[in-house]
Amino acid sequence: MWKIAVGFAIFAALALYVIGKGGDSLDMSGEKHGADAVHVEPAKADASAPAPAPAADASAAK
Amino acid sequence: MATTAENRPMSAEEKKVIFASSLGTVFEWYDFYLYGSLAAIIAKQFFSGLDEGSAFIFALLAFAAGFIVRPFGALVFGRLGDMIGRKYTFLVTILLMGASTFIVGILPNYASIGVAAPVILICLRLLQGLALGGEYGGAATYVAEHAPAGKRGAYTAWIQTTATLGLFLSLMVILGTRTAIGEEAFADWGWRVPFIVSIIMLIISVYIRLSMNESPAFVKMKAEGKTSKAPLSESFGQWKNLKIVILALIGLTAGQAVVWYSGQFYALFFLTQALKVDGATANIMVAISLIIGTPFFIVFGALSDKIGRKPIILAGCLLAALTYFPVFKALTKAANPDLAAAQAASQVVVIADPAECSFQFNPTGTKKFTSSCDIAKQRLAGASVSYSNEVAPAGTPAIIKVGDTTVQVKYSAEDVAAAKAKAEEKLAALNAAEPKDAKAIEAATKSVKDLSNEKTAGATLLASNLGAALKAANYPAKADMAKFDKVTVIIILTYLVILVTMVYGPIAAMLVEMFPTRIRYTSMSLPYHIGNGWFGGLLPTTAFAIVAQTGNMYNGLWYPIIIAGATVVIGGLFIKETKDVDIYADD
Repeated sequence: MWKIAVGFAIFAALALYVIGKGGDSLDMSGEKHGADAVHVEPAKADASAPAPAPAADASAAK
Repeated sequence: MATTAENRPMSAEEKKVIFASSLGTVFEWYDFYLYGSLAAIIAKQFFSGLDEGSAFIFALLAFAAGFIVRPFGALVFGRLGDMIGRKYTFLVTILLMGASTFIVGILPNYASIGVAAPVILICLRLLQGLALGGEYGGAATYVAEHAPAGKRGAYTAWIQTTATLGLFLSLMVILGTRTAIGEEAFADWGWRVPFIVSIIMLIISVYIRLSMNESPAFVKMKAEGKTSKAPLSESFGQWKNLKIVILALIGLTAGQAVVWYSGQFYALFFLTQALKVDGATANIMVAISLIIGTPFFIVFGALSDKIGRKPIILAGCLLAALTYFPVFKALTKAANPDLAAAQAASQVVVIADPAECSFQFNPTGTKKFTSSCDIAKQRLAGASVSYSNEVAPAGTPAIIKVGDTTVQVKYSAEDVAAAKAKAEEKLAALNAAEPKDAKAIEAATKSVKDLSNEKTAGATLLASNLGAALKAANYPAKADMAKFDKVTVIIILTYLVILVTMVYGPIAAMLVEMFPTRIRYTSMSLPYHIGNGWFGGLLPTTAFAIVAQTGNMYNGLWYPIIIAGATVVIGGLFIKETKDVDIYADD
């Protein structure tokens, strides 16, 4: 069990390093469906922009 | 076949069974996150040349890949798994999945082969959806049927940890490739590398799975000639089984799905879209909480062998239903206290003709909501503004009142012309001034350009006027990182992930134990995929529609709260504890 724990700790540290380095260019929001999957330039929301009306997402269907 | 509880360490064979099954599931998650992370690039490569009508059809097909094909895959492969065996069926699902993923990596794009490119891509997505529908049930059944009684929760929980591993693996491969070849090359051709790399994982997974033995329960049943000849009819055509399938769906998987989705994906969405936290910070916060939370899958899986599956799963749903509102409000205070203060202080009202206001439920993402009322609500929901609704006379365009300031939503050509003239005057003054302010000139030039475009002029004017009114009401455009309380945010997110582990850690064991061996694969796969795909998958669009409708950014939480609450009641009343069930009793 300790080997798994050490392996997970190393993997997690590496992952955090990668995610930290990737900044906001990494998308962790899961699979895209519907228009999200085919839309060429997804708009980014700011304070004055309309909220993205999210399409349904079958992310959890694993 | 180990059927008695044993206080012994896991055998080498059992470790191999868990490893082989989990590796395939990691592979699926890897693919799942690849598509999510690379969606913008893939869309550019494959869908950029499509007209609006074709894009609409492809959007519907992409939707179908997740919502219709997966449950269908559960039926197709569930039936096969109950008829020809678990091992060969989930060997087929992983081959189908892996081959489809690999082909995406070598598929010519729209520029090379035209419309055939998106057609083939969508076909591959449909095949992957089909394979996904069969994979999880197979892995869970296979591991559970190898586990000794009394340890099924602990053994199957390993499969549940693979979501985090798959996520991180995909991010590492994507970022590694991007760093190695550069952003431009990655957008051009490098995005294919993570898909092509998946062939390595496929070969390893297939090699290991080929060396595995068939589930002992299935071998015994087959030897005795007791396998089901028609698993679908038996599972869904007989009320005694169908009743359990329905209960598994609404009394377990529906609640599990919304808690899972809220804890991981909605929390991230809420941080970035509602609380205006920058993507980099939100990603790292969620990643840390996932890492802290992941071991709890095993903890709750193992605990469910001691105290039962039902109390842990339903406690997770109950805690979610009772605490989501205060927890998400606490998240706002910790991540963006200025927003919390602005919401408490300002009075925003949308005054609109109710006939113009839609319930903006848009599961396929293909509908357009363009009335003045819908646009007003989209804008305010996007800015995380709480607002109330007032009725305007029929036919009146909607307006927004921010304190004493009134903001029009629709603008006439005269309004646009006046605003454009004003912007041009400002630009001229900036150009004449010394020293020149390059940033201000750039912004003023952009403003003139946007107001000159007929299509965007109205939206630009609304954004500008509403932005100014909200700024005056102290609504922050983004979270102030100096006031961002990292520790509290991580604690809150970790709590949400721990709820996920409570509902998800023991669920594979519980679903397996609810059905007899002869129809287990079929019967458990369908409620799992409908529960997770439909109830979980519809969360973002339903939550947004509720937020826009009611004018309160927390009201989207009613969706997971109601579903989780219903699961607590139905599961609590009608679902029996299964941890001590002899899963071979009916064989």
